[in-house]
Amino acid sequence: MEKQKKQKLTSLKPKLTAVAVKPTAADRSFNIIVDVFLWVLLFIIAIPLWSTITLSFRPNDYIGTNLEGMFLPIWKWSTAAYKALLGNNGFVLAFGNSLKILVMGVATALLLTIPLAYVLSIKTLPGRKILNWLIIVPYVFNVGMIPSYLLVTSLGLQDHLAAVFLPVAVSTYNCLIMRSFFEGIPNELKESARIDGASEIQVLLRIILPLSKAIILTVGLFYGVSFWNDFFHAMLYLNKNDLQPLPILLRNILMASGMNEYVEVNAFGDAPISAIKAASVFMSAIPMVIAYPFIQKYFTKGTLLGSVKG
Amino acid sequence: MKKTLAIVLALAALLSPVFAQGTTETAAPQAEDKPVTIDLWYGAAITEAGPPPEDWAGYKIIKDKLNIDLKLTALPSNESDQDVKIQAAGAANNLPDLFMVRRDTLLRLVKQGLVAPVDDLYAKMPVRTKNHYDDASIKNTTISGHSYGLADPGSIAKNEGLLIRKDWLDKLGLAVPKTLDELYNVMVAFTTKDPDGNGKNDTYGYGAFQEINNYEEWPGRRLEPILGAFGVEGTWNMTEASAGLNVLKPEFFDAMTFIKKCQDAGVIDPNWLAYKKDDFRAAWKQGRFGIMREQNAAYAATANYAPFDKNFPNGEWIVIDPPVGTTGKSSVGPYTTNFRIYSISAKAAKEGKADKIAQLLEWMASDEGYYLLGWGVEGVNYTKNANGIPVADGVANKDLAFSAPQGQTVTQLRNMVFYNGDIELGSRYPTYKTATSGKTMSALVTLRDMQSRKWTAEIGADMLPTPNADLKRFYEQGLSEFITGKRQLTQENWNQWIDEFKKQGGQAWNDAGVKYAQDNNLLN
Repeated sequence: MEKQKKQKLTSLKPKLTAVAVKPTAADRSFNIIVDVFLWVLLFIIAIPLWSTITLSFRPNDYIGTNLEGMFLPIWKWSTAAYKALLGNNGFVLAFGNSLKILVMGVATALLLTIPLAYVLSIKTLPGRKILNWLIIVPYVFNVGMIPSYLLVTSLGLQDHLAAVFLPVAVSTYNCLIMRSFFEGIPNELKESARIDGASEIQVLLRIILPLSKAIILTVGLFYGVSFWNDFFHAMLYLNKNDLQPLPILLRNILMASGMNEYVEVNAFGDAPISAIKAASVFMSAIPMVIAYPFIQKYFTKGTLLGSVKG
Repeated sequence: MKKTLAIVLALAALLSPVFAQGTTETAAPQAEDKPVTIDLWYGAAITEAGPPPEDWAGYKIIKDKLNIDLKLTALPSNESDQDVKIQAAGAANNLPDLFMVRRDTLLRLVKQGLVAPVDDLYAKMPVRTKNHYDDASIKNTTISGHSYGLADPGSIAKNEGLLIRKDWLDKLGLAVPKTLDELYNVMVAFTTKDPDGNGKNDTYGYGAFQEINNYEEWPGRRLEPILGAFGVEGTWNMTEASAGLNVLKPEFFDAMTFIKKCQDAGVIDPNWLAYKKDDFRAAWKQGRFGIMREQNAAYAATANYAPFDKNFPNGEWIVIDPPVGTTGKSSVGPYTTNFRIYSISAKAAKEGKADKIAQLLEWMASDEGYYLLGWGVEGVNYTKNANGIPVADGVANKDLAFSAPQGQTVTQLRNMVFYNGDIELGSRYPTYKTATSGKTMSALVTLRDMQSRKWTAEIGADMLPTPNADLKRFYEQGLSEFITGKRQLTQENWNQWIDEFKKQGGQAWNDAGVKYAQDNNLLN
């Protein structure tokens, strides 16, 4: 009886049978095309990267074309360019300045963007639409360089590192992404906190922020990359030589015409200037390259969440 | 709440050093005994090297002797970035007292009334005016009858030449080619008769790469000696009689035909259309070709010649005259003069700083200023050789030598004092013995040799209007297609292409260029 019952129950269960779908010739052809395409794409991306890396390790006595240099055996590589860069006070100083701009810039940007995005996400906020327009209109119709320059100089920010990040500390784009994310957080959570007597700042700090790690890291990364790479504001507002960040030095290095056409050495000693250029490009990318893998999981989540809401 | 406050305070503490850095200079009127502050935005001599150090001797000397507190800011290395920085400062009426500026930007600033005329300063700087300025330089900055900038000499003119492998000529029993036909025959021989004797068919007659600028359009600088034999060197013809774009002259077709002949015969290194500058320079050091147009120091400076010397201890390049064409024309190529313009802001002039700036510039031109800005402190950054030429040998600390990475920073202002005189060129291009062959080399001797050859003066050709991107592409692509054979180079096809070029805007470009040259008295 018991056995019969068990059999009956078993017969009621849906039967899952694995059906192997045999790829057709068309499927296989398609896969091959995709594979080939991806390999080509990989090569297109990898070749300039490899060219830059090998160039940065090129010895001073190397004679040959760039193409030949890409296949130079590794035991003939020279680290002179890296040694020269790391031993150069200007490079170390510029690297330090860039790090300061990065850390302080990201902190300022998040400090300003998070409250703004939160305020804009509160649907019951009086004048919310007007506030939104006030933010979006300057985003679409930029005031231009001269008014910005006048503002920054009249604020006395010239020759302060803050001039690089403060004028661009709130990005409308990042703010809107963050606002959309905050809007997606269930209202009930905020309501319950308010019922328990939490102020809006407490709601933001204790409810919203702990749930928003992904978007904060994502937007922080966006800001970080833009501040790390910012050449223009530094060029415009920083006159003091000891405040120059890495992008300015990098630009100067890249602009250095083959100085040994005119004098016997370059500013980095024995390393060839082309190797110095490549090494400086490579080294300046390192902090961002290191940061990406750690933030990547949040990055994907954050951008996707931000994009589908609102 | 305490936590919130703590976060805010922590962030404030984090940001405080940012706002604390730097000091804001006030433009308070200068009292007589107080040093006059002069802000100078300069073009760095070595863009990748740092600024003069804070303890640079120049600051103290300038303050003690001239009562000037000099504030230095290096301009961005790129010209368009320089323009942006200067124009932004101009728009905010925040220009520095003295600044380097490109001519185009200067014209705009003058229109806005932001730059002071400097006509009366020339007489106040007799030494500097004698060494640095002439009619051409003053004309370069003269707008509506007033000079608005002090145009110092720029890079050395006519510093390239046509070079040939003399050891190859000797091996093949050939004479130095004088005419275009002779040059072609030598190119063929270098390509086919194994001039390096390695038993391989791996050499070419002529080597080049595409090096284009606004006064040396396609095929560019490296082939100018060939174009010169047809009288169509450079983008423009700058003569009164036939001013205009050279590409529109019938002789240009003849020049193209000759280049095409060389290309088809394989006597030009076929990679010349793909080479970058570094590739080209690697190629001649590897002995790939035996004739080229090259820059004096890129050829003869110690580090540049060393690989060639190592590869070919018996190799020898010599500078030769450019080949003469059938109509008797020849030229290494066009040359122009360029200047580094320093202007004084109207604001500085209004504050009464113009005379102080003149004092500063005149001091820079004195022996003391010239050597200090050019090479640093004697004994520390340089010593003088028997001929009185500054050299890096003999200094106590080699790291501080003016040619060493650290020492170079004290020479960042050298372009404000250099005028391509013998002392600086002698220092820049010392005579030396090559490491492998022991040959005596001098980039200066090479330079003087190159300058003595036949060149075409096209002063101001680099200021003429440039084509828009589409027309430029049409021009360069069209010509290269004729050479590579993508288009057949026949008179009929050429005429059709020229008609199309004119329609695309070539005629308007030509007319605008001629008008500009006429209006600015640039024609010879």
